[in-house]
Amino acid sequence: LESGGAAIFVLVSCVFCASALADGLVNEDVKRTLDLSSHLAKITAEIQLANHGAARVNSLTLALEAELAPHLAFIGVKGEEEEDEGLELKETTLHGQSGKFFEAQLPSSLAPGAKLRVKVETVFSHVLKPFPSHITQAEQQLVVFQGNHYLYSPYPTRSQTTRVRLASKTVESYTKLGNPTKSEESIEYGPFKDVPPFSQDDMKIHYENNTPFLTISSITRTIEVSHWGNIAVEETIDLRHTGAYLKGPFSRYDYQRQSDSGISSVKSFKTILPASAQDVYYRDEIGNISTSHLQVLDDSVEVEIRPRFPLFGGWKTHYIIGYNLPSYEYLYNLGDQYALKMRLVDHIYDDQVIDQLTVKLILPEGARNIHVDTPYPISRSQDELHYTYLDTFGRPVLVATKNNLVEQHIQDVVVHYNFNKILMLQEPLLVVGAFYILFFTVIIYVRLDFSITKDPAAEVRMKVASITEQVLTLVNKRLGLYRHMDEVVNRYKQSRDTGALNSGRKTLEAEHRTLTNDITALQTRLKAEGSDLAEKVGEIQKLDSQLKDLVCRSCQEAERLVAGKVKKDAYIESDKTLSGKRQELVSRIDNLLDAL
Amino acid sequence: QILAVGSKSWLRRNIGAEEGAGWWQEGCVAVGSALLTKFSRTWRSTTPPPTSLLSFTILFLAWLAGFSSRLFAVIRFESIIHEFDPWFNYRSTHHLSTNGFYEFLNWFDERAWYPLGRIVGGTVYPGLMVTAGLIHYILNLLHVTVHIRDVCVFLAPVFSGLTAVSTFLLTRELWNQGAGLLAACFIAIVPGYISRSVAGSFDNEGIAIFALQFTYYLWVKSVKTGSVFWTIGCCLSYFYMVSAWGGYVFIINLIPLHVFVLLLMQRFSRRLYIAYSTFYIVGLVLSMQIPFVGFQPIRTSEHMAAAGVFALLQAYAFLQYLKDRLTRQEFQTLFFLGVSLAAGVVFLTLTKPSLPPLLRYAKIHIPIIASVSEHQPTTWVSFFFDLHILVCTFPAGLWFCIKNINDERVFVALYAISAVYFAGVMVRLMLTLTPVVCMLSAIAFSSVFEHYLGDDMKRENPIKQHPFYPVKNSSVYSKLIVTMLMLMLLMMFAVHCTWVTSNAYSSPSVVLASYNHDGSRNILDDFREAYYWLRQNTDEHARVMSWWDYGYQIAGMANRTTLVDNNTWNNSHIALVGKAMSSNESAAYEIMKSLDVDYVLIIFGGVIGYSGDDINKFLWMVRIAEGEHPKDIRESDYFTPQGEFRVDKAGSPTLLNCLMYKMSYYRFGEMQLDFRTPPGFDRTRNAEIGNKDIRLKHLEEAFTSEHWLVRIYRVKKQENRQALDHKLHVGNNPILTKKAKQNKFRN
Repeated sequence: LESGGAAIFVLVSCVFCASALADGLVNEDVKRTLDLSSHLAKITAEIQLANHGAARVNSLTLALEAELAPHLAFIGVKGEEEEDEGLELKETTLHGQSGKFFEAQLPSSLAPGAKLRVKVETVFSHVLKPFPSHITQAEQQLVVFQGNHYLYSPYPTRSQTTRVRLASKTVESYTKLGNPTKSEESIEYGPFKDVPPFSQDDMKIHYENNTPFLTISSITRTIEVSHWGNIAVEETIDLRHTGAYLKGPFSRYDYQRQSDSGISSVKSFKTILPASAQDVYYRDEIGNISTSHLQVLDDSVEVEIRPRFPLFGGWKTHYIIGYNLPSYEYLYNLGDQYALKMRLVDHIYDDQVIDQLTVKLILPEGARNIHVDTPYPISRSQDELHYTYLDTFGRPVLVATKNNLVEQHIQDVVVHYNFNKILMLQEPLLVVGAFYILFFTVIIYVRLDFSITKDPAAEVRMKVASITEQVLTLVNKRLGLYRHMDEVVNRYKQSRDTGALNSGRKTLEAEHRTLTNDITALQTRLKAEGSDLAEKVGEIQKLDSQLKDLVCRSCQEAERLVAGKVKKDAYIESDKTLSGKRQELVSRIDNLLDAL
Repeated sequence: QILAVGSKSWLRRNIGAEEGAGWWQEGCVAVGSALLTKFSRTWRSTTPPPTSLLSFTILFLAWLAGFSSRLFAVIRFESIIHEFDPWFNYRSTHHLSTNGFYEFLNWFDERAWYPLGRIVGGTVYPGLMVTAGLIHYILNLLHVTVHIRDVCVFLAPVFSGLTAVSTFLLTRELWNQGAGLLAACFIAIVPGYISRSVAGSFDNEGIAIFALQFTYYLWVKSVKTGSVFWTIGCCLSYFYMVSAWGGYVFIINLIPLHVFVLLLMQRFSRRLYIAYSTFYIVGLVLSMQIPFVGFQPIRTSEHMAAAGVFALLQAYAFLQYLKDRLTRQEFQTLFFLGVSLAAGVVFLTLTKPSLPPLLRYAKIHIPIIASVSEHQPTTWVSFFFDLHILVCTFPAGLWFCIKNINDERVFVALYAISAVYFAGVMVRLMLTLTPVVCMLSAIAFSSVFEHYLGDDMKRENPIKQHPFYPVKNSSVYSKLIVTMLMLMLLMMFAVHCTWVTSNAYSSPSVVLASYNHDGSRNILDDFREAYYWLRQNTDEHARVMSWWDYGYQIAGMANRTTLVDNNTWNNSHIALVGKAMSSNESAAYEIMKSLDVDYVLIIFGGVIGYSGDDINKFLWMVRIAEGEHPKDIRESDYFTPQGEFRVDKAGSPTLLNCLMYKMSYYRFGEMQLDFRTPPGFDRTRNAEIGNKDIRLKHLEEAFTSEHWLVRIYRVKKQENRQALDHKLHVGNNPILTKKAKQNKFRN
């Protein structure tokens, strides 16, 4: 029965007030603030809600006028306290009513008769229309705002006030509903009592507003994550002055000499980058824009962005700003699971308006299972692949776009993905491999002969070189033999073992013969190649035979000494001369060897 | 050589060590040598000598030094394209890399020479763009994502390294390895070459000098060997040179000259015959493949010398052949006939109006060529400035070459003599002189060092002694002194090179810098400010009138249509612009209307004292305009009766009311720069301007850069007086419709 009663009640209330919501909520007290001091219209409404119905209420419906709704950039509902989290919003439709509607889930349901304070914050872009639309350099910029005197709400309002904040004292005209009071830079409307739901009354304010009407017509924000410790951020920005168009000439003289000339133009603005931003660059298609300044503060990096030229109404410019961030501040990982927490869009100037945002998130090569948590709905495009230094199969790129963003959209996005750490080695290995191949090729090229024709001269030269090398070793070996013989002789002098001496002499003879024969064979080969080195080898042979004689003689002398046929003094004397001669011969052979 | 000695002693020590070592080692050596003998056919048995490592290191260091000394501008400013012509090259390279090669060859640039346009593919030497585009393509293929601008900026420094290598090769062919290395080091840092190849100077010369040197190297190699292989290489390199720079004419005249002189010197050989015949035919065919060159090699007088020498060489070879087969009598008759026939042909060609090669290039009679500063004759100062000590030592090298002449040294002598001549005619051609000066100086230095440092080697190896020097036992002290002096000279040379590079050749000229008293730097970025304003805030098809100097920059940086640019092929068009600048405003307006001009851009340096501005160039505009329109413009009108060019009150009234004057000084009369000077004081010309009350009727100031360096004026559209006959689509253009209606009422 109760449910049937409720149904009847709903039916009745629908008949009564078009499609006003039947949940019995009433706006007890509304304080609206229209902040028109910048180029945005920021409308804040502090509403005290009361549940006059019978049932508990779980959600709250917010309404926007049909005229303003397309310009809505941001809407947020907060509870009473400053720290309160924003309420979750969902767009809905209300039958028979024009405009845009959102349903906010209350943190706890509102009991009948209970009260609740909420703060609804909305930001609209491009609702302040310059009028006149074209001004000269000397003129001030006047704009018109058209809105609603009342809070557009599906609930009846008991009492409300509206306060309008302006940018300057100069106001050309304003609607005078309910005899508003105008003070310095603001206009107070109301209080209005008992306003029915969905009431609208045109408010029109024409006033001077020289704040910079800067609009980012499009921005592409590219975030490139590297697991080597760096996150590169680059923003490509198209900027336009959307205030009143400049009519007639631009005089640099006036602009330099008169402070109020071109007062609505934009000379520079400040971009605040994260505190850890490094290597900031600010450039465009034709190079670095030298008119900027960078200031590193404790908690941020401030870039004073000065476009190449002052921006007057209707003028536009285009630039790129980029910087590097250390990844440890933004990249978290647990094993192979990574999470990147970055701002989806960052600060560009105060009260920024972005008409179109494209975010490109470039993850490392090999990132899998990518999952994105966005703070607000944003449309994802098809993923792309990006190739840069040392990439083989491409880095995944997440692309997302969104229109009409303001400062309130500077929030974090979290990207989760998996990445196998082994893949970190891929790039160094690639470099190592490339160098390996390079060096190997050089070795192959230098060592191997690729000529398709035989160069006889070179061939001969090579042969001669190899023969001479062999000769060198053989001759050295032969010299070694003599030294060995000396040792044998010395040993004999001490041990007086004739057998050992004879066997030593025999081996010397035998080996010497084979070596000499080998060398002679090589010498004939050299001669066959027509090299004049053969003569030198012959000379060496000749010297060698003398040397051998000397060795034999020293051997005999030693025998005679041992046999007691010579005196020790005489022996030493003769040995000295012999070794002197030998020294001389060896050095001559050495010289000849060097010449080979 | 020192190294060679060192290596020998090292070898000896090694052998000594081996001598004392155990027997097993000898066994190893024996096995090793047996293996070596086995593989000696394919496996080079000896390792390359250590000198090759040294040469490699020296060349690499020369490359590095040359590359880094060209980076002053990048470090001081940024990676940016310099000056004027490079901007066009950059723009076309950009077009090439974005649209592909065929699109580039077919590119009709409607942004230049409005309303004529320019067929870029057929009017450029595409070598530079293709090189940069190819490098960019390959790098991107390897996923090295560099911007095409950076490729363009760093192309010339990289190629300077290649130039050093090819100079090394050429000098090694001419003299020896040592001289080659010295030459490579010289060319890497010599200012005469750096002036055209700093980072950012993306111009044809940057790669052309490499191509030039490499072609010469291959030519010398092919004359030495008489091998078709080297000659084909030479032709390909020549083809690259033709595709890169108009200076290829120098090659196609020098090589025939070389052949001709060799013939005169009775040095004809089959090697020469093979080399030149192949080179001429293949080179000719290849050079005609470049669209811009086309049929010039068989039409114009610059190329006729090559053809003549080719014919002569054939005739000579034919006569040599006949000589073996004919009797003396027959031969003489034939010779006489041939000579008279050749004389007739030469006479016929001479009757056609023809100018000697390159001289025509250097001809200074058209004001537009004369107005370019780099076309002026070279002063002695600039010889020393660009070459320093090399200019004194290269005659010595030349003397060494002539003293010990052979085929290839004849070549270098001719190269030197002709290059000296051309460098004397025109500052710009200093560039072709620089490489040969480096080579010959290197030969001179190398010979001296060989004499004074080669002492050790002589004792070791008396056969290799230098033939020129009788073995004099010069004392150690004189050796020391000479060596020290030489080293001092080289050191001073290096210091001078760095200084000149840093101070004279490393300014991008697009960005200006001024220094405060405390040494801090101010960047005056007015050019880019104004060009970027044009790019962003004017209609995409707006036509900008400016003096031709800024044409390429406007096209490159502002991306707008220009009327005239640095490719000064159409004198009358330039004269028309000059006439507009030098006429009074209403006459200029008529010209500008007929040329569809939307904006006028001028350079004005009066505020900051920039001397290269349009008022200082103004007389050239007047002269060029006078050349084509002598009735309307007379140079004398712009001078005071005393014959002075003055901008102050005493200046001629024609000057004080011409468009250029008005645009330059518009509202400048109100401006007081400092307290010592009156308002309207021009800092460049140090004069208070004569006409301070300038009103513009048909133009309005559209933009002036921060330091007034660039001023842009908008040409006002005519008022819409006549009602249009045809029916307008109402609502299509509200303003037009309204005005048309008003006019109807008036009618």
